Amino acid sequence: MVKQMTDGNKNFVTEQIELSVVDVAVAEHGRKPSAVIPILQKIQQHFHYLPDEALRRVCDLTEITPAAITGVSSFYSQFRHKPVGRHIISVCHGTACHVKGAGLIQDALVRYLKIPDGEDTDPGRVFTIEKVACLGCCTLAPVIKIDGLTYGHLTPDTVGRAIRDFLALEQRYIVPRKAGEQPERPKGLTEIRIGVGSCCVAGGSHKVRQELESEIQKIGADVIIKPVGCVGMCHQTPLVQIVSEKGEPVTYAKVNADAAAQIVRRHFKPNGFLRTVRSELSSALEHLLTDETWEPVNRYELDVRDAPVCSFLGKQKRIASEWCGSMDPLDIDEYSRNQGFLALRKCVCGLSTESIVDSLIKSGLRGRGGAGFPTGRKWTLVRNASGPVKYIVCNGDEGDPGAFMDRMLLESFPYRVLEGMVIAAYAIGASEGYLYIRAEYPLALQRVRKAIAVMKEKGFLGKNICGSGFSLDLKIAEGAGAFVAGEETALLAAIEGKRSMPRFRPPYPAENGLWGKPTNINNVETYAMVPWIMRNGVEAFVSMGTETSKGTKVFSLAGKVVRGGLIEVPMGITVRQIVEEIGGGTAGGRKFKAVQIGGPSGGCIPESLADTSVDYEALEAAGCIMGSGGMVVLDETDCMVDIARYFMTFTQRESCGKCTHCRIGTKRMLEILERICDGRGEQGDIERLEHLGQTIRAGSLCGLGKTAPNPVLSTIKHFRNEYEAHLQGRCPAGKCRALITYYINDDCIGCTRCAQACPVDAIELLPYQKHKIQHEKCTRCDTCRQVCPSDAVRVRHAKMGVSG
Amino acid sequence: MLELMLNGKKISIKEGATILDAANAAGVNIPTMCHLKGHSSFTSCMVCVVKEHVSGRLIPSCTAPVANGMIIDTDSTEVHHARKSALDLLLSEHVGDCEAPCRLTCPAHMNIPLMIRQIASGKMTEAIETIKEHISIPAVLGRICPAPCEKGCRRSRFDSSVAICLLKRFVADIDLYSKSPHIPVCGISTGRNVAIVGAGPAGLSAAYYLARCGHQCTIFDDRQEPGGQLRYGVPENILPRQVLDKEVEVLKKLGILFEMKMKVGKDISICELREKFDALVLAPGKKDQYSLLSWLVKTTEKGIVIDAHTHMTSESGVFAGGAVVHEGRLAVRAVGHGRNMAVSIDHFLKKIPVTGVLRRFESRIGKIHEPEIIEFMKESDCSQSIEPSGGATAGFCVDEAVRESKRCMHCDCRKQDDCKLRDLAEKYSASPKHFNVEGRKPFTRVTTHTSVVFESGKCIKCGLCVRITEKAHETYGLTFVGRGFDTFVGIPFNESLGAGLQTTAEECVKQCPTGALAFKNC
Repeated sequence: MVKQMTDGNKNFVTEQIELSVVDVAVAEHGRKPSAVIPILQKIQQHFHYLPDEALRRVCDLTEITPAAITGVSSFYSQFRHKPVGRHIISVCHGTACHVKGAGLIQDALVRYLKIPDGEDTDPGRVFTIEKVACLGCCTLAPVIKIDGLTYGHLTPDTVGRAIRDFLALEQRYIVPRKAGEQPERPKGLTEIRIGVGSCCVAGGSHKVRQELESEIQKIGADVIIKPVGCVGMCHQTPLVQIVSEKGEPVTYAKVNADAAAQIVRRHFKPNGFLRTVRSELSSALEHLLTDETWEPVNRYELDVRDAPVCSFLGKQKRIASEWCGSMDPLDIDEYSRNQGFLALRKCVCGLSTESIVDSLIKSGLRGRGGAGFPTGRKWTLVRNASGPVKYIVCNGDEGDPGAFMDRMLLESFPYRVLEGMVIAAYAIGASEGYLYIRAEYPLALQRVRKAIAVMKEKGFLGKNICGSGFSLDLKIAEGAGAFVAGEETALLAAIEGKRSMPRFRPPYPAENGLWGKPTNINNVETYAMVPWIMRNGVEAFVSMGTETSKGTKVFSLAGKVVRGGLIEVPMGITVRQIVEEIGGGTAGGRKFKAVQIGGPSGGCIPESLADTSVDYEALEAAGCIMGSGGMVVLDETDCMVDIARYFMTFTQRESCGKCTHCRIGTKRMLEILERICDGRGEQGDIERLEHLGQTIRAGSLCGLGKTAPNPVLSTIKHFRNEYEAHLQGRCPAGKCRALITYYINDDCIGCTRCAQACPVDAIELLPYQKHKIQHEKCTRCDTCRQVCPSDAVRVRHAKMGVSG
Repeated sequence: MLELMLNGKKISIKEGATILDAANAAGVNIPTMCHLKGHSSFTSCMVCVVKEHVSGRLIPSCTAPVANGMIIDTDSTEVHHARKSALDLLLSEHVGDCEAPCRLTCPAHMNIPLMIRQIASGKMTEAIETIKEHISIPAVLGRICPAPCEKGCRRSRFDSSVAICLLKRFVADIDLYSKSPHIPVCGISTGRNVAIVGAGPAGLSAAYYLARCGHQCTIFDDRQEPGGQLRYGVPENILPRQVLDKEVEVLKKLGILFEMKMKVGKDISICELREKFDALVLAPGKKDQYSLLSWLVKTTEKGIVIDAHTHMTSESGVFAGGAVVHEGRLAVRAVGHGRNMAVSIDHFLKKIPVTGVLRRFESRIGKIHEPEIIEFMKESDCSQSIEPSGGATAGFCVDEAVRESKRCMHCDCRKQDDCKLRDLAEKYSASPKHFNVEGRKPFTRVTTHTSVVFESGKCIKCGLCVRITEKAHETYGLTFVGRGFDTFVGIPFNESLGAGLQTTAEECVKQCPTGALAFKNC
């Protein structure tokens, strides 16, 4: 299709757009209106944005209307309508990254790439910057991802290095094109990937590579050595990864030249031994996303005797994440050996649906997605609903910034989640179902897809499961970027190919759900609990937890804590135990201030209430919610007003825009919070926030809106004095940029580093003299403080003219 | 059948009914904006919320199904509060003027944009009706008015304001010199009579509008001829007496009686007037405090003290207006006073609460930004203002008037009298200021349809038009674009509004609860 446009005397011929990909997408996903999201995803994968011509073509070929395609493609944040630069830089604005300075990183990138105001792409159209809610690498915060490469622990000062590093790699053609796309490798050949990201190079990867090459020559193996970019574990460099046709890649961290030879020899020896090494290593490295527990190459299994690791694991109790760190996610035989599918077999082949539901009710299991509705009761409702067609749906739209429990469960225990779904489907009488999983989790999608195929092959899914006569067909619906899709009615709308907007309940999905049929929706973690309960019995489950909250809960522990990571703890544990015993307390000797639980729907538990027990009711009484399990620890350098603004920014951006209170109310709350953080707060603003918060809570249609004011109301409740300080021009935590002042004290040695590093020339270069910051120019990017070798750059926690 | 308590009354309704259905069946009115019978419910505006006491929740009645044993309140303070807050929020993002700045600055509150659109489409009979709705003597005012409206005219931000006064005069002259000048339809005689002191602009105007209500009016004045300062203060070359005479003639045709050369206080006393008439209008023009002493109403050095809104004086049944209550000699203000007094007196005579002319809720954009002028100009002729070829005193010819009228930017809302948001804002005392917003969305106007105009800033995202076009299988239709606060209603693939609304334009305009979708000519 060639388009000609005449403009005066010039003839522009727009680029010819080859639309055959549209036809392919339609052939693959069908002509029904519900196919719109996968079709759009396919088109965007091809063009990197959605050209109008392609969308019109979709309308020509399918039942999808122009109104529907416009509405849907503009609703989900994954879809772009404008061409982008050659590379996408995703700046993570998850909670952990936020508290560690994601805003400063974003600003530094914009400055470094000279991106014009109001745009997202540099003038040379090389890089497009986009904000993402959470990349799920909270322990590496702050993080950016350039195409497939992750750079962690960044500072405004090192942003330029990351870009230069990326460009250097690009020149050598070794950058995977887009997130989730695996670099091509010749069929049948094993590949040794060696990290050549800047950190890996700094860690000596050059030498390691030479050693690998010479060793391979020695044994004459048919192996490709391929340098790859940073994998994100920059504190564990150099990294070596062995990728073969079958099985998961094996990653070795902190490899030195000696170890390189060993690795080659291990992998190219007869099979038996290799297998163990591979599975143990991959799980150890992949699933414990803590800085401390990633172990160097010479240790294959976590040593529980090691003190910090011991306390990290000691308080934990694993149900959803059982066998964590020692199981190959996709090895179905290994899963079976570890009691996998026992529960499934027992249920579909022997138990009545009634007794299963009854067990669930007795177990007291409550939904792990946040609201805590009793799972057994939900199943009963769906089971009792009339009609021959029922659906089972798994809610894997984990969107809370700072939460990645579901991703971990889907990536590491796909069989367990699916097993739980099969049992649920059997109990309620569903023979068809969907897993709705965010597109931002490519590995989870890939593994679940694979797991479904394997389970079908082995007779655990599909027709006549385990010879029981029960059949279940499960499909994957890939999310396209909408936090609100975590709300169950919005999720159903998304599966149906509509804008993901919640609707009023009742009717609940249990009686009127997907395509109007009775539907059971549970969260990933909820399903993952089911096999354990059915296998070990109700008694074992109810022995853990509190009166009203039974069993365990998975949390992602991040923020200002020494040992972050994914933890599974029995209900009833206190917040303090989690922070201090499992997390090892706050880092750097700073004071523990609060824990944010439940993300944008939750609230803050101040240190004074840290002995609150983790159960649904106790958390709610403390002005918090259980939520899906994000837990971000805050210390004295975190500003509570800023945290409130952060979450309000998130919910406001994620509001679907349907009901008045959420659509406009969250915007108004955000405006007030912004002006408070900007030092333009007015008397009465705190009361205004409280009033608006109550209004939104009472008037919103769905859970997102009703809980949106929580982070604000809970911080006002516990930290009102900080709000008041802001109105007086002070930020006690020294975080809000408009309310702090940088200055240089007499410790300055005149080394000029600050002046050289300052991106806005706010410091005059004066060798051997005391330097001075010009406050009008200073953007408080913190670079000078970070580069100062004598700790002479200080921050006063008040704006100019206000006494700190 | 299900049973519920609605505002304390037991009601039964069939299964599947919503609370709104139940309320309607019981004759209880619940306001709605996003709801339309025959279309799926959307539940966005939240003005239909009611309190359900069993669950303790506020729930949207348009969607919530009735359940057995519900206890519903539709009118409690809490419910009013919730509705008001929804309206406050909707208004806080509302970008649109209910009434145009010209009309708001006109002391007589004439519907100027409507008159201009009528002139532009050649409907001069309608135009005179529009004028006479507020201005009883337009041919006179068309010659002497300093036109404060033109100072309010937004077109001056682009080049120069529209010649509103000359346009009004043009219409008034056509009418006045026609075979049968416009006579308003008057109400049936009420048998009540009103004495009016002063035959100036305020008195004449009061008489005109009282007569329309069916009240018998008698004007007392000590001069030879009616007109007051219009006759005895304005030079003949500016206001030819023939014009004044002809407009007074129209008043006489309405049955208004003139008692000229009658000095109140000398020839006839105030007491006598009060005895003989059911109500009394004091509009004697500028008078000093001493000469007013005998008039038995409370005065200050500035004149007679009135309630600014109702024009009531300290004496029941006695109303005052014009220069005697207000310093300054603006005839158009006096004319406005006359109409306001007539409304109050009508209330008084009908023995209903005297409210005066009710002030309507006004949404205002306030200051407009440079790029928005372009949006406002989309329907306007870009040419410079037209000078009457025969000079300013001659006025416009038809062609000139039509051309000048096409310069109007249509700042007013074309559905100002058919807007649920405005009506409800009044009912629940909602205010756009409640949430103290900094900044606003830009004003936009889509004109790419032959008869419909779409102003996105007035849209409350109720999605009625989206549902209507979808149901009618429009080729393009309308759709929601974007998400959250930035959601707007747009046409797929940036097609024209004409392409979007091929068969449903009329229905969409009719059902749009605000002025977002309106007919260009109304």
